[in-house]
Amino acid sequence: MEEVEGNQRSEDGRKAEENILQFMDSMDSYLTLLDSMSSTLRQGWLELASARHSMGASRVNSALFDLKLHSAVTTLQVAEQDGESPLADPMVKQSHFTLCKWASPNGGKCCSEEIEDGDKLQKKSPQLRHRGLSQFSELQEKLVASSGAPLIVEDQVQKERSKSLSVFGTLVSPKLRGAQFSFETALVTLVEIANMRSLMLSAFAQVRQEMEGRKE
Amino acid sequence: MANNAQIPSKSSALIAMIADEDTVTGFLLAGVGNVDLRRKTNYLIVDSKTTVKAIEDAFKEFTTKEDIAIVLISQYVANMIRFLVDSYNKPVPAILEIPSKDHPYDPTHDSVLSRVKYLFSAESVASGRR
Repeated sequence: MEEVEGNQRSEDGRKAEENILQFMDSMDSYLTLLDSMSSTLRQGWLELASARHSMGASRVNSALFDLKLHSAVTTLQVAEQDGESPLADPMVKQSHFTLCKWASPNGGKCCSEEIEDGDKLQKKSPQLRHRGLSQFSELQEKLVASSGAPLIVEDQVQKERSKSLSVFGTLVSPKLRGAQFSFETALVTLVEIANMRSLMLSAFAQVRQEMEGRKE
Repeated sequence: MANNAQIPSKSSALIAMIADEDTVTGFLLAGVGNVDLRRKTNYLIVDSKTTVKAIEDAFKEFTTKEDIAIVLISQYVANMIRFLVDSYNKPVPAILEIPSKDHPYDPTHDSVLSRVKYLFSAESVASGRR
């Protein structure tokens, strides 16, 4: 009987230590991600300021924002994990956020993985457009050879990106495109921060419950 | 985690923003802008003329709407309605405090970190040792 109680206590102790470690790790990741996001946002603001400088302040302005009915093309999917008990503290429940970038409002799928592949291609290509066969086109052809689907997704993504930029005119500065890419990257980091926040709060709630249990 | 059941995900949810013009512009370029049938947007641009009441109303609106999953708020704006932000304790929508051009991120003001720093306070350590 004493042995069983002892095993139970060591199991509880091990679980408590795991929760504390999870909390510390998630807090560390949260702070690191915030730092990374701050750096990306600074890059985005700088590019936006450069675009405003080259295009003129009247062309990069909140007065140009589209106020007609339209849906967001970058959205989120939220999955909530059920806790062990329906009466559990709501903060113990974890929510998982998934970013869907540039999904078409006409019912396009959430295609974050294909978009990431396309983004990697975009990074390798220069920001200025080139007429004729470019490095980006060669990379696209290689992608088509392996699978035709990513190219269709990439076209849709480029179309949505251009539509977003067109609010500021037909011809926009490459710096504005750069700012768009920076803010897209910041969004990806923000979703990771949201997930880490959820994990941290869930671990914190469990640690606090254990501490309060011990006091009793 | 074996006991955790995955509830099916909700349909697409939005990212709301309460921030300065440049931050909102940048995120709108990334495609998060939404305007509904009543011409209501999922963002509030905060400038020198924006009142604290307007910020409070926007925060309350965004945190009660079911189709919003994340609310991005510049930390200097969150400081204007700190009581409201700190008293918010739901998991969704998640409130994320972000820096702005003129106000870098300060972890000491972050509402999430303020909540969890209780674990590191002398009182909680002392009470655990009793």
